[in-house]
Amino acid sequence: MLDWQGAVASVTHHPLFGIGVSLGAYQAAMALYERTRLVFLQPVLLSMLLVVGVLLACGISYAEYRHGTEILATLLGPATVALAVPLFLNLRRIRQLFWPTVLTLIIGGLAATASGVWLGWCFGADHETLMTMAPKSVTSPIAMLVAGQLGGVPALAAVFVLTTGVIGGIFGPGILRLLKVQAPEARGMALGLTSHAVGTSVALQEGETCGGFAALGMSLMGLATAVFLPLAVSLFV
Amino acid sequence: MLLRGLTWLILFQLFGTAIHQLFLPMLPGPIIGLLCLLGWLMYRGDVPQPIELAASSLLRYLPLLLVPPAVGVMVYASVIAQHFWAIVGALGISVMVSLALTGWLMNRLINLKVGQPEGGRDA
Repeated sequence: MLDWQGAVASVTHHPLFGIGVSLGAYQAAMALYERTRLVFLQPVLLSMLLVVGVLLACGISYAEYRHGTEILATLLGPATVALAVPLFLNLRRIRQLFWPTVLTLIIGGLAATASGVWLGWCFGADHETLMTMAPKSVTSPIAMLVAGQLGGVPALAAVFVLTTGVIGGIFGPGILRLLKVQAPEARGMALGLTSHAVGTSVALQEGETCGGFAALGMSLMGLATAVFLPLAVSLFV
Repeated sequence: MLLRGLTWLILFQLFGTAIHQLFLPMLPGPIIGLLCLLGWLMYRGDVPQPIELAASSLLRYLPLLLVPPAVGVMVYASVIAQHFWAIVGALGISVMVSLALTGWLMNRLINLKVGQPEGGRDA
């Protein structure tokens, strides 16, 4: 008698299973996205759905998957550091556009944070959820840190950050086209400032300048939020 | 080449982590590392080829690196299902409005600046 169940279990619980599923799902999602170019088939979202489907079908917990894909999560650190390169390559352009960038950061950043909290309050979210929502437009390591400082839930902050990023990544390019925002600097800034890493990955596909300004928007928004949001909340709430 | 560049990126991140522990608890290590690398590149005036190679290779797969944290949504499925419309509504409307405002504003400011005569670079 062949031990089919044992074989399946040893495959699904193998340390490489999580990485294998992620790689497979990502390539399938990319292929589908490139073939169809449908906005709602955003690669991160689609890969996430595929992986969740496989994990549920095989009865694997998130903790086990997370443990197996530690290496991918760890590489997110050096990838964040690597954003300094597109930033540097666009530095001359950024210097020329210094005041537009600073003004956009202040107004756009305030709008992104305040509108999220205000809308959450309108929809009846409690204090803890509001504090978790406040840093939603920032890259997840900063958002998790800030949410913790504000009295929110760090892990849930990562979920809100991702939801925001995916919605921005899906609808962002369309909204910008509709508003006739043609300057790649402005498109990149909008995507990076409001939709952090997911927006930046969309912007990088549009081109070098767009990607550079997205990285700029993301890091400036991250810095501003990390420094000023806890201050603002301690003053006003 | 790729490995040398990757080593540099990791060194910068580790340096950032040390600074985070010592002086700047409100900024995460990778962001401090990003700023340090940017400062170093500005000091040098160009991007060394190994770093350029490692950076472009890593950034090409940025969406893949975001998949594992995204899958974390499944842990909060019940909380999210309970407040689904509040969460998606608030986050969705907020990101779309602020994205539209940011893009429009920046585009507007760039056009204003381009509209100026060439001499007006001191601004």
